[in-house]
Amino acid sequence: MGCISCAGFVIAMSETDAVTLRLKEPTTIPIEADSICPDLFVGRSQAGIESLPAFYGRRKVTLGDLFTVEGENSDQVIVEGALRYVKKIGQRMTRGRVVVRGDVGLHLGAYMRGGEIVVEGNAGDWAGAHMQGGRIWIRGNAGHLLGAAYRGEKRGMNGGVIIVEGNAGREVGALMRRGLIVVLGDVDEFAGVRMITGSIFVSGRLGARAGAGMKRGTIVAFADHAELLPTFRYDCRFQPTFLRCYLLQLHAWGMSIDDDRLEGFYRRYHGDLTTLGKGEILIYDQR
Amino acid sequence: MWIENVVCPFCGCLCDDIAVEVEDNRIKSVKRACSNGRSVFLHAPTEARRPVVDGKEVDWPDAIDAAARILMKSASPLIYGLSSTASEAQRKAIALADLLGASIDSTSSICHGPTSIGIQSQGEPTCTLGEVKHRSDLVIFWGCNPVEAHMRHFARYSVLARGKFTPQGRKDRTVVVVDVRPTLTARNADIFLQLRPGSDYEVLITLRAMLKGARLDVAEVGGVSVAQLADLVERMKRCRFGVVFFGMGVTQTGGKHWSIAELVALAAELNAHTRFNVMPMRGHGNVAGADCTLTWQTGYPFAVNFARGYPQYNPGEFTAVDLLARQEVDAALIIASDPMAHLPRQAAEHLNRIPTIVLDPEMNLTARVARVVLPTAIYGISAVGTAYRMDNIPLPLKKVVNSPQPTDEQVLDWIIERVKT
Ligand code: SF4
Repeated sequence: MGCISCAGFVIAMSETDAVTLRLKEPTTIPIEADSICPDLFVGRSQAGIESLPAFYGRRKVTLGDLFTVEGENSDQVIVEGALRYVKKIGQRMTRGRVVVRGDVGLHLGAYMRGGEIVVEGNAGDWAGAHMQGGRIWIRGNAGHLLGAAYRGEKRGMNGGVIIVEGNAGREVGALMRRGLIVVLGDVDEFAGVRMITGSIFVSGRLGARAGAGMKRGTIVAFADHAELLPTFRYDCRFQPTFLRCYLLQLHAWGMSIDDDRLEGFYRRYHGDLTTLGKGEILIYDQR
Repeated sequence: MWIENVVCPFCGCLCDDIAVEVEDNRIKSVKRACSNGRSVFLHAPTEARRPVVDGKEVDWPDAIDAAARILMKSASPLIYGLSSTASEAQRKAIALADLLGASIDSTSSICHGPTSIGIQSQGEPTCTLGEVKHRSDLVIFWGCNPVEAHMRHFARYSVLARGKFTPQGRKDRTVVVVDVRPTLTARNADIFLQLRPGSDYEVLITLRAMLKGARLDVAEVGGVSVAQLADLVERMKRCRFGVVFFGMGVTQTGGKHWSIAELVALAAELNAHTRFNVMPMRGHGNVAGADCTLTWQTGYPFAVNFARGYPQYNPGEFTAVDLLARQEVDAALIIASDPMAHLPRQAAEHLNRIPTIVLDPEMNLTARVARVVLPTAIYGISAVGTAYRMDNIPLPLKKVVNSPQPTDEQVLDWIIERVKT
C-alpha cells in the first residue's frame, strides 16, 4: 500500500490570480495542448503564454491562436469552453492547480507529478496515464484506461490519487504500479489488469475480470457483489484496518463515507494465480 | 501460355504454387487455387479506366491535382487501408503520411490490431508455416475457421500437409478446435471445445494457471469442464511441436488484446516443456505486410499519427474507427480497402461526409461515395510487388497480365510530388 497523505495538499485558489484560458471556437479537429501546464505559465507574461505552442490537427499553432488568455505568471489555471477535443491538458505538470470547466479530451494529466487537476465535467480516455504524483479529481465520468499504461509500456500510474465521482470505463489502472484510484460509480471490465501494486476502490459495480493478471495490490469493491476470474481464490472474511485509514483520509477530503463500509467486514480473495498471486480483491460483506 | 508458381494475392496464405493460363492478355484458367483465389484471378479487370473527380472522368494529372489539394487543405487527414496492396505502396503511403502529418492506419485495427497490442506486452513465440508443415503434431485453431476463410491452409501448411517429420500428414497430427459454434473447421477436429461466447479470456487464463499447477476453486470455465482443460494442457505439454492459430473469434470478442496476451504467454510458458508457437490467421493478402512495413518505417504496427512531425502510436486514439467515429479527421485517403462496407455505421457516416480519395482496382462502395477515384493495377495480377504471408515471410508477387492502370506505388509517388511542390 502506498502513502496517500502527500497528495492531500489542496491549495485554495483565488480566481483573480489565475490564468484563464477560453477555447475560441468549438472544433472536432483534435487539439494537442500539452502546453496548458502550470509549470509553463509561471514566470510568463500573458503574451508569453499566448505564444506557447499547440497543435491543431497537423498544424502547429500557438495557444493564443486557439484560446483567449487572461492573466499571467501563475500556476493556477482555469480552462473553459468546449474542450472535448482538447488533449493532454496538464500533461507532465508538477505543481499548481488546473480547473477544467466542462468536459475534457484525452490524456488529461498524463505523466503528471504534482499539483491538482479538477474536472467539472467528464474526462476522456487515458486520464492520469503514467501519473506519478498529485491529484486528479473528476466530477463526472472518466473514460477508459484511467491511470493506465500506454500500449507496450511496462507500468502505468506510479503514484498520486485519482478520484472519479461518476463511472469509469475499461482497464482502469492497467499495469498500475503505485497510487490510489477511487471510482464512486461503476467501472467496466479489466479494472486493475496486470497491476503490479497500488489500490483501486470502486463504490458502484466492479466490472468483470477485475485484477486479471495482477501481481500485488488491492482492489476493493464496496458493492457486495463482484464477478471474479477463476484464477482468484477465497481466503477469509475480515475487517481490514488499513482500509479505515484510507477511508478516513477520503472523508477528510470531503467525500461522504458510509459507516457500514468503514466498520464492516470484507471477503478477501487472492490472485491472480497465473502470476505471483499476492494481489487481493476485497468485497464488502455486511457489518 | 501457362505461368507456373504464381502467388495468389488474395488471403494471408499467399499460396505460391498457382498456375495461370494467359491468352491475349486475359486469364483463361487457373490451377490449384481455391474458389476465392480462382475468382480473384478470373475476374481481374484489365480494361483501361480513367480517374474520376466529383463524378466526372478526368485525366491523371488533374486527378492527382485534385487529390493533393484535398490533402493539403485538410487539417487532420487520415490514410487508411493498405491490406490489399504491396509493401512498396505501403511504404509510399507512410512517406505521404509523414509528409502531411497525417494519421495512418491499416485494416489490422479492425481484425488483428489486438494481436499487435497483445504481442507488444508479451512477446511472440512464433515460427514459419514451413515449420508447421514439417514438424507440428498438435495444431489448435482458436476462434478461426480456415476451412471457409483460408481454404488451402489445411492442405498446404497445417492439417493435411505431409512434411519431413509428419510423413503421414493428418494421421501424424492431433487437431483441436476451440470456438463458440461448431464450424466446418470444427468438423475436422479430433477435439472440439465449444466455449460460451465471450469467455475466451477466462479459458485462456485458466489454462495458464493450470499449466503453472495452481489449484483452482472451479469445476467449469466458459462452458468447458476443468477436466477437459486439464486434458488439453497435458496434450500441449506432451506434444513435440505445437501451434495455435487464432483468428477474429479471439481478437474481436471479450478480452480482445488481453486474451491474446494470455494466449501468447501460454505458448511462451509451454516452451519450458516442448516447442510451442502461436500465429494469427491474417485475412487480407498483405495485411501482415502493412504491420511489417509500418513497424519498419515508424516503429509501430498500426494506429500511427505524424501530426507532431514524429510518429505517435495509440490504438483507440489513432485507429481509423475511432478517428472517424469521433469526427477527428476531415479528409481521407483510402488505399485498397472498402471501409464504407465494413466499418461501424458511425465511422462510415463520417467518412461519407468528408472528402475522400480512393485508390483501388475495383469500383467498391467507398469509391462510389469518394470525391476522387484513382483506379490502379492489381498487385499479383497486373503488377509486381511484395506481400507478407501470415507468418511474416515476404513473397514476390508476379505480374501475369498487362494493365493500362498505374500501380498504387506510382500514384502515391505522383501525389507526394504534387504535395511537395
Ligand atoms: S488459400 Fe488464400 S492464397 Fe491460397 S489460393 Fe485460396 S485465396 Fe489464394
